[in-house]
Amino acid sequence: MLAFLRRLAGHLVRGIVMIWVVTTFTFVLVRLMPGDPVQTQYEKLLAQGVSAEQARAQVQVTYGFVPHGSWLSQYGDYLWKLLHFDLGKSVSAQGVSVRTEVVGALKWTIGLVLAGVLLSFVIGVLLGVVAAMKRNGHVGSVLSLVGSLLHGIPQYVMALVLVTFLTVKLKLFSTGPVDGLLDPGFNGPYIASIISHAVLPAAAFALSSFGGYLLTMKSSVISVLGDDFILASELRGIKPSIIFRYVARNALLPLFTVLALSLGFMIGGAVFIEHAFNYPGMGAMLIDSIGSRDYSEMSGAFLLITGAVILANIAADLLYSVVDPRVRHGGAA
Amino acid sequence: MSTTVDLPVSGATVAPARRTGFWRNLWKVLKRKPSRMVGAVIVVLFVLTGLVGPWLYPDNLPRDSNQILAGPSLSHLLGTDFEGTDVLALLITGTRYVLVAAAFAALITVLIGTGFGLYAGYRRGAPDSVLMRITDFVLTIPGFPLLLVLSTVWKFSSALQMGLVLGLTGWGGLARSVRSATLSLRERGFVEAARGLGMPTRHIVTRELLPNIAPYVAMNLLIGVTTFIYSQVGLFYLGVLPFTSNNWGVMIQLAVTNGVTQTGAGLGYLMAPLVAILLLTLGVVLLVDALDEVFNPRLRED
Repeated sequence: MLAFLRRLAGHLVRGIVMIWVVTTFTFVLVRLMPGDPVQTQYEKLLAQGVSAEQARAQVQVTYGFVPHGSWLSQYGDYLWKLLHFDLGKSVSAQGVSVRTEVVGALKWTIGLVLAGVLLSFVIGVLLGVVAAMKRNGHVGSVLSLVGSLLHGIPQYVMALVLVTFLTVKLKLFSTGPVDGLLDPGFNGPYIASIISHAVLPAAAFALSSFGGYLLTMKSSVISVLGDDFILASELRGIKPSIIFRYVARNALLPLFTVLALSLGFMIGGAVFIEHAFNYPGMGAMLIDSIGSRDYSEMSGAFLLITGAVILANIAADLLYSVVDPRVRHGGAA
Repeated sequence: MSTTVDLPVSGATVAPARRTGFWRNLWKVLKRKPSRMVGAVIVVLFVLTGLVGPWLYPDNLPRDSNQILAGPSLSHLLGTDFEGTDVLALLITGTRYVLVAAAFAALITVLIGTGFGLYAGYRRGAPDSVLMRITDFVLTIPGFPLLLVLSTVWKFSSALQMGLVLGLTGWGGLARSVRSATLSLRERGFVEAARGLGMPTRHIVTRELLPNIAPYVAMNLLIGVTTFIYSQVGLFYLGVLPFTSNNWGVMIQLAVTNGVTQTGAGLGYLMAPLVAILLLTLGVVLLVDALDEVFNPRLRED
């Protein structure tokens, strides 16, 4: 237990350092932007007849720091704001705080990502077991080939093909998160609309990522099949169905870390799917903020995406040491 | 963001690679399965297209304003775009940018990844921990969002600049695999023997370690090239980059902004680059299967 806590502390410290480095990076980035957006907003406010005092205050609210004073004090201001989860105010949507926007976008992304990841995990694991069992036959080699092919195809290709054929040509689905005319809230038609709009993007997710799970599961099952304890249980005449349960349980272990990692990456990786399906999540928000040069929103979205990946990394490491005793006792690799 | 091939770290089968044997082996392995031949042919065709493609057409492709977003026909095999330009011509001339950027990115990845991995694995100690912290950092930061954010300060105006940025953000995985391979190699007999004989470090690294790591670097490179292709095409597709020259990503982006995904008109314009990416993926996957067997003799079926 003490070892576990020490591990946890180490991971957390490393994660915090990483987040600090990324925040510093976004700070420097915003300062390096061509045309200096901070100074530009300040001067624009002055030109509108706003007093220097007020202009400074407003810029401070938007970016978390003022354009005057030393870099060090600007940096201090920025970090202090972030420490209070204050990401500044959006420039393109005047007056809305970035935190509100991020939370609004995150809601859509998380639903989509969860559905997509779980779907691809289940399909990938099941097909991976089949591919491992039939590895010497045609079924196995076809599955492996399809797995590596789909694994290699970029998400946007999958998304665009599905959008074009299923929503435009066949009109089976529609894009966007939900039908615009419905009453938002917890009512039947609204929820049904959300679900029917999420089916295709989630399928695009699953199709472009189940190959990875398939290949990992296949090699994992094959390596477990070679373990001595399987041979021993076969020799003792234990029923194949029970042996299969042993195999499955042991082979699944490495996949959980992949699952945890992909949940983190998908928050940012949803960029293409959200773009293709016109879905208002984190990825779409990041692209929009770049298109409109809304730097405070951009750094907010980027910080959140990176934070999610770092947290997922820590979770994956810890999860691995919990589910696999060999790692726990072997010490840190 | 980059996929890397796992190294069989136990590596009992790693034998010093011999240059002459490599091509003969590759040919033998390719001949064994027709699918691998197909893969090699596809990859070679793409490389040739990238090399000679732009010379086949005039600098400014002709426009046919009577045929806008037309479907495939004899005069335009893949149809036309929203200005009436032949899609096949766009596809072929656009190949070079995509491949040059990916190849340059791969070169940078190999230089940094192999260099860092070898040095960290061979020296160990403090330089190792420092380099691996940097590697962890590069690996953890989500690559594509980072590229998106960088596109606001960096214009990626040429294929080489694009390649440089892709390479600088994508070497983490390779550095990790090279390091772990080096760690296991340095304890092995032939390296210890070289050390015992008093060979200089430079000799051990370039003559003993590098030849053994080269196969994995090569495989990672091939897969890395496809990842780099997808990333840059994706950046253009999302429309965050200004473009000066034609390439696959620009085609996809223009097709989408001109409403091909909404109306379905001019489907060839959208599908051509998508199918090109699918074909290239297929080629690389099939070729990697062959390389796998060349480099891991254990997989050989005979």
